[in-house]
Amino acid sequence: MLLQNAIADALNSTEWAFALAECLHIGGFAVSIGSIALVDFRMLNLGLRHETAARILKYTEPWTLIALAVVVFSGSALFLSQVDIYRVNPIFPLKMYALAAALLFNFTVHRKVATMVNAPPALSTTVAIVSLLLWVSVVFGGIFIGFLE
Amino acid sequence: MDIAHSIQSVGFLTEFAESQLPYPIVLSIHLTCIALFGGMILATNLRLLGLTFKSLTITEVVTSLRPWKRLGGTIMVCTGLLLATSEAEKYSPNPFFWTKMTILGLILLHGQVFRRSVYANTEELDRSPVIPANVKIAAVLSLVLWIGMFTMGRLIAYWD
Repeated sequence: MLLQNAIADALNSTEWAFALAECLHIGGFAVSIGSIALVDFRMLNLGLRHETAARILKYTEPWTLIALAVVVFSGSALFLSQVDIYRVNPIFPLKMYALAAALLFNFTVHRKVATMVNAPPALSTTVAIVSLLLWVSVVFGGIFIGFLE
Repeated sequence: MDIAHSIQSVGFLTEFAESQLPYPIVLSIHLTCIALFGGMILATNLRLLGLTFKSLTITEVVTSLRPWKRLGGTIMVCTGLLLATSEAEKYSPNPFFWTKMTILGLILLHGQVFRRSVYANTEELDRSPVIPANVKIAAVLSLVLWIGMFTMGRLIAYWD
């Protein structure tokens, strides 16, 4: 509670702090989702075909993790600065469910299939499409929080 | 101001700006493109810097992602045009908007300036034992420009 107030005070009293947190949030989601999408594009055979999906995942995973940390931290700060607004927002819980589903899918099924040797093409394609749809739904959720009340 | 007012008064643009669903959907598409194609821009630049994807040639990274980046850029410009023109009066005096447009111009210029030495010269770069300094400069400049681009995009909402 004390921490929540301290964060809320910092973000609300200094105008640039909230803007900075939002910019970090956008930069973070761009890099995290963008790096996951590179693996998905590979799984869909749309690019970087001279390397396996497993190797692309190995290259991109460090930035995915760092960017996810940035996006979760900045997102938590934004949430804590306006808890009352988010608590009554009908879209916010939907975004959190989508995020939970996307994260769970990413570190279980997606990871497993991307690193699989000779994964069946139909399986790779399906998993990549589900991954993209889950992450896109998180982005849509984020935008709609500000538009639907 | 008059021009801005005339632009946003065009029937479908007024309807679009006041719409409950289409406006946030188009904005969401605009942001989804930042993630999907921003990741590709980042990948290209990090490869040019020799920081990752080292088992792939520069040619492979640049050319296989190029059509997707073009598609993403087109979608971003179209959705961006719709968002900005529908609220032209709000955007036209906004300094962050014009900074963003200036950066967009610089990004296009950057592509032209480094086309011959970097983006259309990847096979030569792959044969070179070290990545030349101008290629790294091009990559760093591109990253700086794109960071400026999305930061200004977000700050547009802060000016009143």
